[in-house]
Amino acid sequence: MAPLPVLSTADTAATARRDLLQLLEGVRGKKNLVVERALAAPLGLFVKFSTLQEYGVDRVYFLENDNVDTSQRNVVFLVRGEKVKAIHSVADQIRRVRSSSQIDHEFSVFWVPRRTLVSDFILEEAGVLGEANVTEYPLYFMPLADDVLSLELDDAFSDLYLRKDPSCIYLAAKALMDMQQRHGLFPRIIGKGDNAKRLADLLIRMRSEVTAAQDLSNGGSSVLGLTPSQSIENLIIIDREVDFPTVLLTQLTYEGLIDEVFGISSNQAEVSSSIVGNPSQQQQSASSSTSPASQSLKRKIQLDASSDALYSTLRDSNFAVMKPVLQKVARRLQSSYEARHAASKTVAELRDFVAKLPGYQAEQASLKLHTNLAEEIIKYTGSDMFTRILEVQQHVVASADPATQHDNVDELIARAAPLHTLLRLVCLESCVGAGLKPSYLDAIKRTILHAYGPQHLLTLTALEKMGLLTPRAGGLASSIPAAKPGSVTNFPAARKSLGLIVEDVNEADPDDVAYVYSGYAPLSVRLVQCILQKRYVAALTKAPAGVSQAAAAAEAGVKGGVGVGGAGGGSVGWRPFEEAVRLVRGVGFDEVQTGEERAVRARQILNGHGSSTTALGGVGTGGSAATSVPTKTVVVFFLGGVCRAEVAALRFLAKKLADEGRPRRIVVATTGVVSGDRVVGAAVEGDR
Amino acid sequence: FKEALECRGEQAAVARADKLKLAVKLLHDSREHAGHVKAIEEAQRLLRMQEGLDRDAATAPGGAGGDVFTGLSVHETMFRLVKMGNSKRALKMQSEFKVPDRMFWWIRLRALVAARHWNELEEL
Repeated sequence: MAPLPVLSTADTAATARRDLLQLLEGVRGKKNLVVERALAAPLGLFVKFSTLQEYGVDRVYFLENDNVDTSQRNVVFLVRGEKVKAIHSVADQIRRVRSSSQIDHEFSVFWVPRRTLVSDFILEEAGVLGEANVTEYPLYFMPLADDVLSLELDDAFSDLYLRKDPSCIYLAAKALMDMQQRHGLFPRIIGKGDNAKRLADLLIRMRSEVTAAQDLSNGGSSVLGLTPSQSIENLIIIDREVDFPTVLLTQLTYEGLIDEVFGISSNQAEVSSSIVGNPSQQQQSASSSTSPASQSLKRKIQLDASSDALYSTLRDSNFAVMKPVLQKVARRLQSSYEARHAASKTVAELRDFVAKLPGYQAEQASLKLHTNLAEEIIKYTGSDMFTRILEVQQHVVASADPATQHDNVDELIARAAPLHTLLRLVCLESCVGAGLKPSYLDAIKRTILHAYGPQHLLTLTALEKMGLLTPRAGGLASSIPAAKPGSVTNFPAARKSLGLIVEDVNEADPDDVAYVYSGYAPLSVRLVQCILQKRYVAALTKAPAGVSQAAAAAEAGVKGGVGVGGAGGGSVGWRPFEEAVRLVRGVGFDEVQTGEERAVRARQILNGHGSSTTALGGVGTGGSAATSVPTKTVVVFFLGGVCRAEVAALRFLAKKLADEGRPRRIVVATTGVVSGDRVVGAAVEGDR
Repeated sequence: FKEALECRGEQAAVARADKLKLAVKLLHDSREHAGHVKAIEEAQRLLRMQEGLDRDAATAPGGAGGDVFTGLSVHETMFRLVKMGNSKRALKMQSEFKVPDRMFWWIRLRALVAARHWNELEEL
């Protein structure tokens, strides 16, 4: 099998679904399914409950509730095999069910995504390993949108930075490896950040392991999987550590704000039903508001761009422009309703209209939903507190002296702003300024302890451990980073050389990625731009002529694709922005993966006929040769999580590239979607 | 290793007052954590004060039994005191914990509004 032409997320979903159903089929008869709560929502992304029922699932339980009953003979557990706590509770429940019922139960445990030594050990210790059929369910990437893949590891962030637990790097590598085997090698891996480097090393090692295994078995059939991919241009790995400020800022896109206000997990947001209205009431009449009784109820709403056309247009736009857009849609809907009176003269026309009616209704429902959501968010953004927070953020990011904002921060504490919000501000300042002045750090710590309670001493320690809150080394002179280059981000310098602050952003019709934060361009996205959109960044920063020329040349090299061979290999990657990139913390790297001679030849033979043989030189960067290459895909992997505003910015970048005549598909892959609250939440005591 | 020991001490500190002392002792061993020691000692003082407040609140005629101070932060304690009309105690707390004036006024303002003490608010 030749590699699939394009990387599609629907494909990932289909595989995941197929695997799960196959596993379920393997268990005969009716069964009770026990799912870990954290897995339930992601599962809902690609499989419906009715489908599960068809496969004999009788009832679904949450692992955490510990309430599996004995109604079915088969009990299936679907649990992540990494977390000790979950494994323990599986063992406990197996024991409980076994002891409490007379029938001979059959247990199956599906570890997601892999069976671990620890899990075996714990089950053995509990004395239940022998009774359960243990299988792996290799579920890695889950599609969140048609261009977003996520591992949905909720605690990846705290694992990685607080507990320094690299297991999620391993999982990420496995997931990417899987992708490589399906689509061919990433011709080029570019990355930034220490953990990103680790991930890339792991990938390269896994690849050599696979090759070695193949040499042993001499299986010629799958050799093809390890030639450079035709459809993927490169893999860009960004370590979250590289760019903390971006997540700490308040996201200003619509989707981002929904995430900030209500929280989204696996495309589902929990919103009080007083805002969205109950589904039944929505059908009854559009005008009636919900009954007061249902006010406290939470209702999950699906935010799915593929089925909701309105949402897909709204989600990435800056919140400031929401109102006109919603108004426009409302007007259009109204006019098409009115068209009924005007135009429905003939029977044919009437039939035409009736056919369209369900579409209109769906659209109206979604319009109503989003208007209500937007109203609620406006309530939030309109508050005095929010403006104050935003003011602090913008100043800290943009101005040289963040100390001017200390009064504002103090005031927010005095007004009992939520702890998360406050910590975000403090951490933001620390990240931007490469640490806080020791004296101020002590003062703010004291105030936080006073305001929010002494238990947050632990919170603060955790934040320090994560590197979010640090005393400034050297004490004086903020302009000279005392620490060695590469360990901290020299934010002011990076801001200048990468043009992170953009004055006068046009929010309605954005021309720069900075629109997602109303003026601040996410550092992570700028880094991606350094690779994909060199000329633009160069022009933006008004770099010296030499650099911008080099950038133009490099871009031409990228555009021209191959031909350049070895020489071209030098001008892609970080060049000519090494200087700027070096200002940012963590190592940058750039690896070229080439296929093996043998494998390349094999493909050439298979592709055959000499007609469209891709000009894969032994050293080439993986032939985007003159054949009718489909739009290349760039995979951007965020290790440690991505926030929704960044996704929006990358989508915007893809659109821009298409405008420039170099269309690229940008697929965002991540360990999980994060927001600033979740980032500091990882540290907050008693909040884990 | 040391870090783990400290963490346990601190965690326990949240639960029980006497464990705080243990934590202080533990932390005294290492010199780098002078800041932590101070913070924990402060927490001790706060707890002691809150215990006293709780006793007063329980014995006071008409004092709401549900109002428990223990476990609140300094700011929250002051907030509640002002709300209950006990501004003097709050002032005392302010001086004891060296809360900045600006901060204290904000707290007082919020508390008075929450308690609808418009008269007192006017007097300020």
